Amino acid sequence: MAMLEVKNLNVYYGGFQALSDITLSVERDQIVSILGSNGAGKSTLLKTISGLLKPSTGSIHFNGEKIDPLGPHDIVKLGLALVPEGRKIFSTLTVLENLLIGSYSPGARRTKDEQLENVFELFPRLAERKGQLGSTLSGGEQQMLAIGRALMSQPRLIIFDEISLGLSPVMVKHLYHAVNRIKQKGMVVVLVEQDVKRSLKTADFAYILQEGKIRLKGNPKDFTEEEVKKAYFGL
Amino acid sequence: MLTSLEPLINGILLGGLYAVIGIGLSMIFGIMRQVNLAHGELMILASYFSLVFLQLLGIHPLVTFLFVLPAIFILGYLIQTFLFNWVLEKGMEPYLMISFGLSIILQNAMLLLFTPDARTLQTSLAIKSINVFNLFYVPVIYLVDFVVGFLVLGLLHLIMKKTYLGWAIRAASDNLTAARLMGINPKRVYALAMGIAVITAAISGVLVGMTFTFYPHSGTQYLIIAFGVVIIGGLGSLPGTFLGGLILGVSQLVGGRIIGPGLQLLSGYIILLIVLTIRPQGILGRK
Ligand SMILES: Nc1ncnc2c1ncn2[C@@H]1O[C@H](COP(=O)(O)OP(=O)(O)O)[C@@H](O)[C@H]1O
Ligand SMILES: [Mg+2]
Repeated sequence: MAMLEVKNLNVYYGGFQALSDITLSVERDQIVSILGSNGAGKSTLLKTISGLLKPSTGSIHFNGEKIDPLGPHDIVKLGLALVPEGRKIFSTLTVLENLLIGSYSPGARRTKDEQLENVFELFPRLAERKGQLGSTLSGGEQQMLAIGRALMSQPRLIIFDEISLGLSPVMVKHLYHAVNRIKQKGMVVVLVEQDVKRSLKTADFAYILQEGKIRLKGNPKDFTEEEVKKAYFGL
Repeated sequence: MLTSLEPLINGILLGGLYAVIGIGLSMIFGIMRQVNLAHGELMILASYFSLVFLQLLGIHPLVTFLFVLPAIFILGYLIQTFLFNWVLEKGMEPYLMISFGLSIILQNAMLLLFTPDARTLQTSLAIKSINVFNLFYVPVIYLVDFVVGFLVLGLLHLIMKKTYLGWAIRAASDNLTAARLMGINPKRVYALAMGIAVITAAISGVLVGMTFTFYPHSGTQYLIIAFGVVIIGGLGSLPGTFLGGLILGVSQLVGGRIIGPGLQLLSGYIILLIVLTIRPQGILGRK
């Protein structure tokens, strides 16, 4: 059984259909990439999976449990975390408070000290800055904080929405390194990106989205450049 | 000369009470960007609750907190859950209307239940005062008001900085979407926050009842004080609310001494207008 199963998902914003008949699955022990140009529907898909949006039809199962009727606060408790697009850190909370609020779910609270140590080991920069307000961090540091905060919930599946957006190549490399270490720790990773090259290199399985539909799926090693271009740009 | 310290010191002490009157209003605005117009009635409702327990059990008004605070917390939780949570996303007007309606209902319910007579939470504290260097007197009850007020604000500060509930409240007002992704159920957190806000209102209500007389319609007068405090100090800021309370208290009593006791309310609102003109976001408020 796949860890995450999305079946025939249709999502609308008012009258506008943002996702059409999306079916995808994420197996354990995988890094899955979801690619697509700006406006393809990637964030909409992630918001629906994490419970921020409700699909009009279709279903989402996580570890066999039907999660599409649940609110985001219940979904995160089951072990599914989203690192949202644009980071969305709490700018008026300190770095440490940002991380601690990540362990809000009762299950995560019990092991928060241990988790905090893991996060600081992954991103020593956050330990140095733990007393500072979230708003005083650089873009890259904010991304680290958003990732650390998601890790605090002790997820089994962690989804990154545009982890590299607006960051320097050095920072992006650093963050991808962290993603690999997160995978090594046994978490399942879903990467959602516009940056085709890097995420295809990292992924074990990829989906390419265009105008709310899946245009290509498979092991990225089997993709031809032609196929990718066609699916991504609709050429 | 030194006797002119009297209104200053009494103003500061009274300001501690004013700060507690304002803090619940400030909290709810800070968290939900909403204004609870029933704040004053919830205060006075607690004064009457306290009166009932005091008469039934013959206990000190401060001991009635044991019964009044849990009861009012549950009331606040239910009001938020069954009234306010339904209209949160609909802007400010529905919330204002509902809370205004609630204030009228509570006022009339209190009028029916408790008659329009003046009441007070009688204690021996109310008639004691401390002689300061043979120069002037400080009423002991003002001292109690200040100390309790200071404790309430300090405790609230600790809750906000050191507990999951406090982080959740601040996170939800900072970035609601991210807060939900952290496992926070906003409606539940709002209900708990309202519960805490009405607890602060109830504490100030009991203090008011011990310090002054109150009537079923007294809430309005204290709502105005609460507005004064949070406008001077800055909406949503805890230290600002404390400072706002002190400034309003001092300006009322010192102003009253200078231009006459009948005009002490006026002098408070003159200061309010000055602050609004110079610093519309309040002294410690953010833009
Ligand atoms: N809140 C919204 N209301 C209406 N339309 C939206 C909203 N959010 C996104 N859209 C539209 O849905 C489509 C997909 O958006 P999105 O999921 O953000 O794409 P991506 O993350 O792939 O860039 C776009 O056409 C976008 O304009
Ligand atoms: Mg997006």
